[in-house]
Amino acid sequence: MPACGSPVALWLPVTKRLLIVDDEISILFALKRYFIRQGYAVDCARELEEAEALAAHTIYDLVIADLSLSGAGSAEGLEIIRFVRRHNHHARSIVLTAYGTPHVEREARRRGANAFLAKPQQVGNIAQLAKRLMEGEL
Amino acid sequence: MSSTLFEQLHRRAAIRVEFQPIVSLRAGERSLYALEALVRGPRGTNAERPDVLFEYARRKGVETTIDLICIGEILAAAAVLPETVSISINVHGSTVSDVPGFAQTFLSDAAKHGIGPRRLMLEILEHRGAWTMSTFRASLDTLRDAGVRIAVDDLGVGASNFRMIVDCRPDHLKVDRYVVQGCSHDRYRSAVLQSIVTLAHACAAVPIVEGIEDEVDLQHVVALGIDLAQGWHFAASMTAADVTQLPFFATTNERRFLS
Repeated sequence: MPACGSPVALWLPVTKRLLIVDDEISILFALKRYFIRQGYAVDCARELEEAEALAAHTIYDLVIADLSLSGAGSAEGLEIIRFVRRHNHHARSIVLTAYGTPHVEREARRRGANAFLAKPQQVGNIAQLAKRLMEGEL
Repeated sequence: MSSTLFEQLHRRAAIRVEFQPIVSLRAGERSLYALEALVRGPRGTNAERPDVLFEYARRKGVETTIDLICIGEILAAAAVLPETVSISINVHGSTVSDVPGFAQTFLSDAAKHGIGPRRLMLEILEHRGAWTMSTFRASLDTLRDAGVRIAVDDLGVGASNFRMIVDCRPDHLKVDRYVVQGCSHDRYRSAVLQSIVTLAHACAAVPIVEGIEDEVDLQHVVALGIDLAQGWHFAASMTAADVTQLPFFATTNERRFLS
């Protein structure tokens, strides 16, 4: 039993919080289930406004965002990453897209994405990348 | 399952209503002043959190639509409350100003649910910069003339500032919990509260503090001259059926015993 007044709370592990944004429910469902089982706190959103409403009131350690939520050519995922970073400069980010080209990837990285993955992608690959980002390995 | 959050908010009974007591502390006795209606979005969605619900509505540009849905659900839920109970309802200033005939429609909808205007208080909040002042004032005048009390909500944070007081000419100043919580041991919070009490008296308004969570803060605000308070120290928000089981609804004799 700790001595009276010792800062017990400081020794408790801090739960990392993730925001996952995709317009495909199946992807949200699979990623949320995986990360919750790994002990993370997870919020999901399907729209830009829903993601921003969450991020306006929550600090996230990592955001995984689909680049285009309203069809090819849109780039809401990058807006979401920028919005999350306004509240936590240290937040890491992964952009997913089915419309990936070297130019799009360069642009995403220029605008703050830490990693870029083409869709479809195995949940395990996304999870491994997310873990490495959160642990500062990338 | 595949619908957006906005579509889900439009479904019948998607918005759930709870009530939290605003307690009068006059003459050392605790009695019910009003019940503030608090809304929650659909279960299992992000909008179950009210902060997310209204942030989402603002970002989608549908705060007026959501306001009107919420008011409808609140009036329906409040219809079962005793006729002696006042109900306080949040509304954006832009809804009051921009919805044609807002005041008349609000009064008429309330009457359909058996709720007279003297039982109603509107808490005006705003997150957008400006509204149409002429229609806003006209709408508030209609409501005030009918007997509805007007409050400025969230005073002390965000857009709830001196301009809101000038524009709304409120009966109540509702002080945000950010200013209230911890006021008993924070000279800055205490000083802000003291200045609000002075301001309220000069405006012939009555201050209400939100976010009272312990007896120490409660005694501090009472010492500052504030006698309307709200917070978990008294009760959490709950359904209309549950809220009528609170001690405030007991008879006078029972209430003395319970306090």
